[in-house]
Amino acid sequence: MTEFAQSPSVLPMDDCIRVYFCTRPPPDSQGQYRSFLAYVDLDKDDLFRVINVSPKPALSLGRTGAFDEYGTNPISVIRDAEEVRVYYAGWTRCESVPFNAAIGVAISHDGGNSFSRLGEGPVLSYSPDEPFLLGSPRVRKFGGRWHLWYAAGKRWLKPQARPEPVYKIRMASSEDGIEWQKYGRDLIVDRLNADECQASADVGYRDGRYHMFFCFRQGLGYKTRQNGYRIGYASSLDLHTWSREDHLAGIDVSEEGWDSEMIGYPHVFTHNGATYMLYQGNELGRFGFGLSILE
Amino acid sequence: MKWRRLGKIFDPTEHELANNCKEFAQSPQALILGDRVRVYFSTRERDPSGKYLSHVAFVDFSRDFGRTLGISHATVIELGGLGCFDEHGIFPMNVVKHGGRLLAYTTGWSRRVSVSADASIGLAISEDGGDTFRKHGTGPVLTSSLHEPFLVGDAFVNVYNGTYHMWYIFGTKWMANGRDTRPERVYKIGHATSDDGVNWRKEGRHLIRDRLGGDECQALPTVIRIGDRYHMVFCYRWVYDFRTNKANAYKLGYAYSDDLNNWTRDDSQLGWTVEEHGWDAEMQCYPHLCEVDRRIYLLYNGNDFGRRGFGLAVMSE
Repeated sequence: MTEFAQSPSVLPMDDCIRVYFCTRPPPDSQGQYRSFLAYVDLDKDDLFRVINVSPKPALSLGRTGAFDEYGTNPISVIRDAEEVRVYYAGWTRCESVPFNAAIGVAISHDGGNSFSRLGEGPVLSYSPDEPFLLGSPRVRKFGGRWHLWYAAGKRWLKPQARPEPVYKIRMASSEDGIEWQKYGRDLIVDRLNADECQASADVGYRDGRYHMFFCFRQGLGYKTRQNGYRIGYASSLDLHTWSREDHLAGIDVSEEGWDSEMIGYPHVFTHNGATYMLYQGNELGRFGFGLSILE
Repeated sequence: MKWRRLGKIFDPTEHELANNCKEFAQSPQALILGDRVRVYFSTRERDPSGKYLSHVAFVDFSRDFGRTLGISHATVIELGGLGCFDEHGIFPMNVVKHGGRLLAYTTGWSRRVSVSADASIGLAISEDGGDTFRKHGTGPVLTSSLHEPFLVGDAFVNVYNGTYHMWYIFGTKWMANGRDTRPERVYKIGHATSDDGVNWRKEGRHLIRDRLGGDECQALPTVIRIGDRYHMVFCYRWVYDFRTNKANAYKLGYAYSDDLNNWTRDDSQLGWTVEEHGWDAEMQCYPHLCEVDRRIYLLYNGNDFGRRGFGLAVMSE
């Protein structure tokens, strides 16, 4: 693994802050990537000091023909009593479109060093109004109930040879994190246009309100500063109705440097009384992720 | 059981089918209408790349299957859009009339890179008596799950005591017989139930015992109730070398149940004998049971997966 540290997800440990992320070996002869789960352990007193890096992928890829044969990305990690679970988008490759995805789950019984999948198939899959591309999971527990925010594909755009997907943020909830009930509607109103893509909805609860940070971009031409990922914000009192107010996100691309063109896949956590946001920068995280602190 | 074979009753190459389909009339499935029995089947066109697309068509027979009354000349159901589960074919399609609704359960196919294809089960509804069907959403109603990871298809639905029952198949693994061969699939028969025909609960087990071992492939379950007993016919084959080798090719299997829960497999009770020669001597596959005017019929495909049509047998005792 030499490039990419995408979709950071924090798991506080006794002696460090562990950040899981998705990384990639060099592409194959057709330029196609695979993506693996990895982690880095950060010093609790200095989050810019790396203590340890996972020596090998923390989760293997799926077998031939499985939904996660070519990648596990993005990811979301959560502690549940003695277990640690990772929810991930599994990648497969298709003929008419480049890829498809569904959401899988794997469990660690060694404190989060290695994970094994609960089954060979996905834990959240397609339905009549969510036909493909279930990805970008972010899992949280509120009041003992599991909540999963994810992106669901709406349609493929094909103005040129390579089709590009449009996807929107949706939600499901569960008693056990295994059997999920989908809410069945898009949660966040579009700001750009109907082809806006939304992903990585990271939700926290504070002062009587649920706060969601997510990322969004234009459907096409998104590898430019103009159309690339930005971080959006919405809030809700009941988890059902969300008010989008992106200006409250309080973060935008930098004038220059590693996060000057795009910022995406936000993940918020608290540590030593401070609230931090991890996010990935230019080229969808090719050069890593960064940190910001709530002022 | 005993069967009287009535021979091949439909050859697609003798008709002008819609969507440039020339060959294949696979997985015949009956809908009984007033003066006729409509048999839906899947036929194929070649796309510009030379690969197949499966389309649904139908042929109408008189109620005794003695005469052909007509065929579909237009598209019965559209294939799915770009990236959808049913983009590259619908095969098969099972049609159910219940409670004033006419429902179709489709097996939609789309192509993959490391394996040939994946499949899920969709729902479509007809509001013109079965001439055309409109889809309930662009995604499937039954698809992959934790322990049924891919290749969910071959739905057959009946309503018993107010509950919708679906028998279907799901993939368990893809296997390669050597380094340079394409992976081949293994699939098994499962069961799901529903109160409305739309939202389904999988039972989550292999319903029918293997006869050839864990690598046996089981397909196209069809169920009929006679008296107090439920009878299932399906087809099964070996995982490899099944296309041209009669020993490994599809054959008909049989199981029965008195409670829709416990199924006993006993292929010998089907009372089916394989011929030495003829249109169905090499392979017997994609069975469909139906009852018309108190006779029980078995529609099925023969050699070469139904490239040259389907045939019929009638239960004689």
